[in-house]
Amino acid sequence: MTRNFALFPLMVVITLISLPLMVMYGFLILDTVTDAPPGALWPDEFTLRHWRFLWDMSAAGNVWKATLNTAVLALSMVAVVVPVSSLAGYAIARLNLPYRRFFLGGILVMHAFPAVTLLIGVFFVLKFAGLYNTMIGVILVKGALMLPFGIWIMKGFYDAVPWEIEMAGVQDGASRLTVFRRLILPQVKPGLVALSVFAFLDGWGEYLLPRVLAPGSDMTVMSVLLNGLIAGDDIGYDFNLFKAVGVFYTLPVIALFAIFQNRLMTIFGGGTKG
Amino acid sequence: MSSFADPIVDGARRARPVRPRRAPVSRLGLILMAPALLLLTLFFFLPVALTGVFAFTDLSTSTGIGRGDYVVTPTLLRQLGDKGLSDTDAEAVARSSVTVDAAGLARARAAGVDDRFLDEIERRFMGRDYEAPAGFVRDLRGLRTAPRRPRDLKSAAALFETSVLNQRFATSQALAAQLEAMAPEIAPAVRARIVEASFTGARFTTENFRTLATQKETARLVGNTFLYVGATLSLFNVGLGLFLAVVLFYMPKGASSLFSTLWLLPRITPVVLYAVMWKWFTWEGGFLPILADQVGLPSFNYMKGSVVTAWATMITLNGFIGASFGLILFSGALRAIPLQQLWASEVDGASRWQQVRRIILPQMRWPILFVTAYQTLSLLSSYEQIWLTTNGGPGRTTSVWALEAFKTALSNYTGNLEYGMGAAMALVLVVVGLALSLIYLRLFKFSELVGRPKIEI
Amino acid sequence: MTLHVKTAALAALLGSVALGAAAEDYTITVWSGGTGDTSTYRIDAIKLAAEQMMRQAEIRGDDLSITVEGQAWSGWDDFKQAFTLASEAENAPDIGVSGHEDIGPWSEAGLIRPIEDYVYFDTWPLNTIYPNLIETATFNDRVWGVPQDAEARVMFWSIPALEAIGWSQDEIESLAQRVESGDFTLYDMLDTVKTMQDEGVIEPGMGFGPRVSNGPDYWQFYQSFGGEMSDPETGKLVVDTGALEGMYGFFADAVEKGVVSNTHLGTEWDVWHQNAAAGNYGTWHGGTWHKAQWQNQFGLADFFGDVQYTLIPAGTEDGRANSITHPLVYLLSATSTEDESVIAAELIAMASAPDINALHAVKSAHLGISKDETRVPFYAADEWLSAASSRLAPHTNAIPNNSDFGTFWTAMYQGLEASWTGASTPEEAAQTVADTVKQSLGDDVVLR
Repeated sequence: MTRNFALFPLMVVITLISLPLMVMYGFLILDTVTDAPPGALWPDEFTLRHWRFLWDMSAAGNVWKATLNTAVLALSMVAVVVPVSSLAGYAIARLNLPYRRFFLGGILVMHAFPAVTLLIGVFFVLKFAGLYNTMIGVILVKGALMLPFGIWIMKGFYDAVPWEIEMAGVQDGASRLTVFRRLILPQVKPGLVALSVFAFLDGWGEYLLPRVLAPGSDMTVMSVLLNGLIAGDDIGYDFNLFKAVGVFYTLPVIALFAIFQNRLMTIFGGGTKG
Repeated sequence: MSSFADPIVDGARRARPVRPRRAPVSRLGLILMAPALLLLTLFFFLPVALTGVFAFTDLSTSTGIGRGDYVVTPTLLRQLGDKGLSDTDAEAVARSSVTVDAAGLARARAAGVDDRFLDEIERRFMGRDYEAPAGFVRDLRGLRTAPRRPRDLKSAAALFETSVLNQRFATSQALAAQLEAMAPEIAPAVRARIVEASFTGARFTTENFRTLATQKETARLVGNTFLYVGATLSLFNVGLGLFLAVVLFYMPKGASSLFSTLWLLPRITPVVLYAVMWKWFTWEGGFLPILADQVGLPSFNYMKGSVVTAWATMITLNGFIGASFGLILFSGALRAIPLQQLWASEVDGASRWQQVRRIILPQMRWPILFVTAYQTLSLLSSYEQIWLTTNGGPGRTTSVWALEAFKTALSNYTGNLEYGMGAAMALVLVVVGLALSLIYLRLFKFSELVGRPKIEI
Repeated sequence: MTLHVKTAALAALLGSVALGAAAEDYTITVWSGGTGDTSTYRIDAIKLAAEQMMRQAEIRGDDLSITVEGQAWSGWDDFKQAFTLASEAENAPDIGVSGHEDIGPWSEAGLIRPIEDYVYFDTWPLNTIYPNLIETATFNDRVWGVPQDAEARVMFWSIPALEAIGWSQDEIESLAQRVESGDFTLYDMLDTVKTMQDEGVIEPGMGFGPRVSNGPDYWQFYQSFGGEMSDPETGKLVVDTGALEGMYGFFADAVEKGVVSNTHLGTEWDVWHQNAAAGNYGTWHGGTWHKAQWQNQFGLADFFGDVQYTLIPAGTEDGRANSITHPLVYLLSATSTEDESVIAAELIAMASAPDINALHAVKSAHLGISKDETRVPFYAADEWLSAASSRLAPHTNAIPNNSDFGTFWTAMYQGLEASWTGASTPEEAAQTVADTVKQSLGDDVVLR
């Protein structure tokens, strides 16, 4: 890294630009344990009142059940996306498939093209499969929408595995499947971990699909619960309560991110969000 | 996407012993692909195909999705009356009569109506005719053996009634047969017209596209969408992303990773919470309005209170999510620049600005193009953030194509869900997206991405 | 004579329902839209009815057990989406509580069953329901739902603000009559609130506080300018370009005068409620039920001392002072089994008893559904309900039941947004509405 230039002006500029984010995230945490007088920026008292929703179900609904539902959705996403993507990613990276170019092109296109605009068609499929208003339906749809991303990422990891490993295995007489299982999969472990974290985060934050495809109250996830709090027109806006619920909801995300940050950074560039 | 002119692949092939050029298709590969193909077919390709079909229908709440019955309603008769159905024919269709006869009793017995009740009906009302079902029902309710539940009694009464009005027939034949039996005097051609018009399901039409092509609203939406995608992309996804990448490049590692983590937060924060934070930031009683109030600037709900601030809010909040995408990609490209090159320039006395302009930016051409290409597609079809924040307001001034498609098809106050029209709007996005993708695939030398497998077993 | 279709369908249901003696176990689900903290009795009334029905069954010697599961949506778009899609996917709730205008499209698509097939409308308590309410639940000559509540929409006036600009006690009290007779028009109202602003009584831009989002309320202004939503003779929708232009012009003029901002639509409900309850607006319009919210949640203490209430004033001589009632109705889903619909319908009938319905009416400040309900002491003791019943209710009308009305409504509101924000002139906006509606509905609409 070059060190010949002054650092100070850069620091000022980037801090200024980052200020909105710092304020938003700073106050996000601060406001959950404090109260400010109306019209004031700075809080003047400490309180745990905003966290009452953890035991008082009348404050924000049943957050524990919603958390459980969210976890089910997020973990199921991992269970669907990771195995399916790692199999397909291997096939597409290393095996001789018919129409392989077409698959790859298609996956690239789908990868870049979020299919949420196709909700009506998705609903129609779910209606016929009898999966509307079920969590399974949401998981399958959400999982399928993430597959192009998953396959693409996994293909990248397989591509980085030296061909020699595979050749050696095949020359020793092992079947392709055995080679894949014994030799290749351990090589792409970082990819599997990263994709798992991604799938989990994606499922954890999802709002639109559960909201549209599974509106029944049994399946309320945290995102829907949180938005329902804000959308209700007959309670006053209690932003500190919303933030406390939001922070509670986001804790697992932050934890995962903190643990896996470096690994995620390397493939984050492939994310599909705007 | 022409030929496999890939030097790496060619090199690898030359090094290996001679073998047949067309290797057998890997069965294992197909098996491994199967789960992915199944899911993608069901929830990706099928919805795309269905969107294509729905786009050419008038599918809506009142037609129902994928079904339809044949029902003659008073409303339909009135509409047909406007189109020339004669009053006598209309009256004949609307005719309804109740006759207590042996056939009716037999039907009721077959349907499982209580025998004692039927016996009493037979004893008391045999041979009677009623003008309207209501009178018959009233009479039945006077019977000692009448069922307790209204539904049971009315169902039994309906078995003695003859009418087509307001009854749902699953097939056109069933309705036609019933019409013929009940009002034989209606000419077959007229009857066919009534049956045809009575279909409640969706019909094929190109009306959606004609409406999209002619209504003024389309131009406004397209304009908004261009503004949204263009501004977000140039100011944030590329502009800010590049700026951050370059600045962080020159910063010590600790500070650099701190800031890149901060800028990644919007991307990993669940969208609902992200929306809450922006509401708190921009609404009256929130951070910015209070701050503005304290320094004497106009203070109001910036997210919804004026068109300009609504746009600014919407672009910024989407841009903050998008900036990290550019940041990561550009940082990666920056790290690929040989440091010697930079040192050399410094020895030559280049200023930082010169270094950025002469050495760094030229290296960024492809990454910039890639981010632009990729994020154009994402932004075109993303609407969740907008939906949860400005929601297209104030007064639809910040609405974009994808959001409007979603609202038209699935989410509006009157509950008038126009699936067909929404699908037509979505189809436009699909076509635009596909076209752009194909262009990009060419642009980014797709062939290089598609190395051929090196072991073909 | 072929009646096979009907016979086959009925055979199945008679076979099952007739077995009354066996143990019966039902779970009845109720989904309710636009339901907040004050209107929980939309669902709870069904629970009370179930309780009563089980007791009756026990006395009769039947073994009947009913569990009622409710789900409330605070908004309308998500509720209507959920009910529609769930019906399409055949797992809709047994009972839906929605606006009566949904009967048109939902019955046409076959999503709901006519409740008249399941209950007697000439026995108590359904025979006490106001005939005009039953009318709103009727479509294609069939009664599809049982009205759940009624209301009136109201123009509210800040009494302190009127006093501050020199109105006498007498003038304030006679306002209701002057509005009703058409002497006091919408433009007089604009002048009044402008005076309030000019004299510093009310903050600039706060003179007039209209509803912040789409709602039946805006049709009132269409009627104020002489518009008719549908032709009473033929039942066809009527697009009155002149009335639309008048109403769009009125809101554009209000913006022009500076008594309301051009971005008012889309303001948060919460903010509107706070301003209304705190008396920050000179005039504002809402519904009878808002009073309950202001008192319970937004700290309005002395409603009658601080707020005068009238019909929505006329806009021109052609128009009339009016108010719209928007009854919600209990509807039977077509995806339930017959047995469930039978139970659900009877629960709905029992929940319509005056004393049970009065719980909802009083708690949420909605108007009752029957004459008998006004005699329930609990209801009669509520000053606001009796006042609104006498001053507003007689002048109310409902939006039409017509499966195409949603198209007109959406277009009307889009035109309002366009002219309010200044994106188009009132004339252009009105013309666009006429064109849009004509294009999609063709001969089924009358242009005036």
